[in-house]
Amino acid sequence: MSVLRPLDKLPGLNTATILLVGTEDALLQQLAEAMLKEDCTSELKVHLAKSLPLPSNVNRPRIDLIVFVVNLHSKHSLRNVEESLHHVDATFFLGKVSFLATGAGQESHCSIHRNTVMKLAHTYRSPLLFCDLEIEDFRAAMAQRLVRMLQICAGHVPSVSALNLLSLLQSSENPSLEDL
Amino acid sequence: METQSEEQAAAEAADSRGEGEPPQVAGPQAARPEDRMALLLRVRAQTKQQLLEYKSMVDANEEKTPEQIMQEKQIEAKIEELEKEIEEAKIAFEMKKLALDSVLMDNMKQILSLNKSVMKSQQETRDLEDKLLDVRKKRLQLKQASERKLLEIQTEKNKQKDDLGSMENSGKIKTIQQNLEMEIQITTVIQHVFQNLILGSKANWAEDSALKETVLQLEKNLTMIQ
Repeated sequence: MSVLRPLDKLPGLNTATILLVGTEDALLQQLAEAMLKEDCTSELKVHLAKSLPLPSNVNRPRIDLIVFVVNLHSKHSLRNVEESLHHVDATFFLGKVSFLATGAGQESHCSIHRNTVMKLAHTYRSPLLFCDLEIEDFRAAMAQRLVRMLQICAGHVPSVSALNLLSLLQSSENPSLEDL
Repeated sequence: METQSEEQAAAEAADSRGEGEPPQVAGPQAARPEDRMALLLRVRAQTKQQLLEYKSMVDANEEKTPEQIMQEKQIEAKIEELEKEIEEAKIAFEMKKLALDSVLMDNMKQILSLNKSVMKSQQETRDLEDKLLDVRKKRLQLKQASERKLLEIQTEKNKQKDDLGSMENSGKIKTIQQNLEMEIQITTVIQHVFQNLILGSKANWAEDSALKETVLQLEKNLTMIQ
């Protein structure tokens, strides 16, 4: 299939799947390992991809959360993410997509401005997270956060849905974007 | 531009999750039924949640999207309007929840006070039971002491009896007894001799009071004295 749809497969019992899309293989791998180390009551499955579309011959479970990882040091990763975004169904953006910008700590190496990524996130109405994936403590904290988000998006947390979470996360971002 | 690392990572992910599982399974097996219960309850909650999501998606898809091509600014404005509606709905819901919670609070407070009184009375019951237990213990101790005393008395009595029995078996008493018997026999013979003397004299012993008394006294059977 060329377009990812959120609800075209039945969910696995007690399973939550996250898809990390980004060009930085090493960082994604490390983040995936950090996430799997987290203590979680449901089973976690982490898929990594350089870009979408994913090959259709692989049997994969329903994806609950997509995180697009953008490295602020390379314009290539941003372009890659922008192209991959076309292969995601619109219904995914109701809380099941998130952007993660890494490398913001080293201002001198940043070739992409922060606001570019913020505008991208704002266009797609998805939360944007900043994290320096190379530092282990930040990575562990981000992994914890992503695990919680994933649990909510997979429907494993009663009384909170992905849309609910989305509107919760958005209220803090909008005021800053109005300054743009 | 797809990578094989995706499948690798998926396999790795499944593996690391799989490694995490055997330690849990090999863990305390007594806790397994509770684990399974917890798992079932969790899965039930998850299924409910997902059903809700699917329902909301079905409802959302029934909404008609505007066919006309609007300018981007208008789209943005519309999106923000919809987002505001969502926020307002959420706030109304939260207020209702707060109102309900205050009613629940009263019930909870009542429950708490009842629990306190229940605990107090349970404590009192426990104290009384302790006292009862003490009294029972004392009674048992007294019983045991009296048992011991009675046992002592019994052993003392048995000892006395044994002593007596052993005394009787000693030789001294035997000789005395034999002497006594002989004396009694001799006296009996003497009695009979005197009796026969008086009877043989053919005197009327019933007339004389002194003679009558003597004869009657001779009738006394001395073996009874033993």
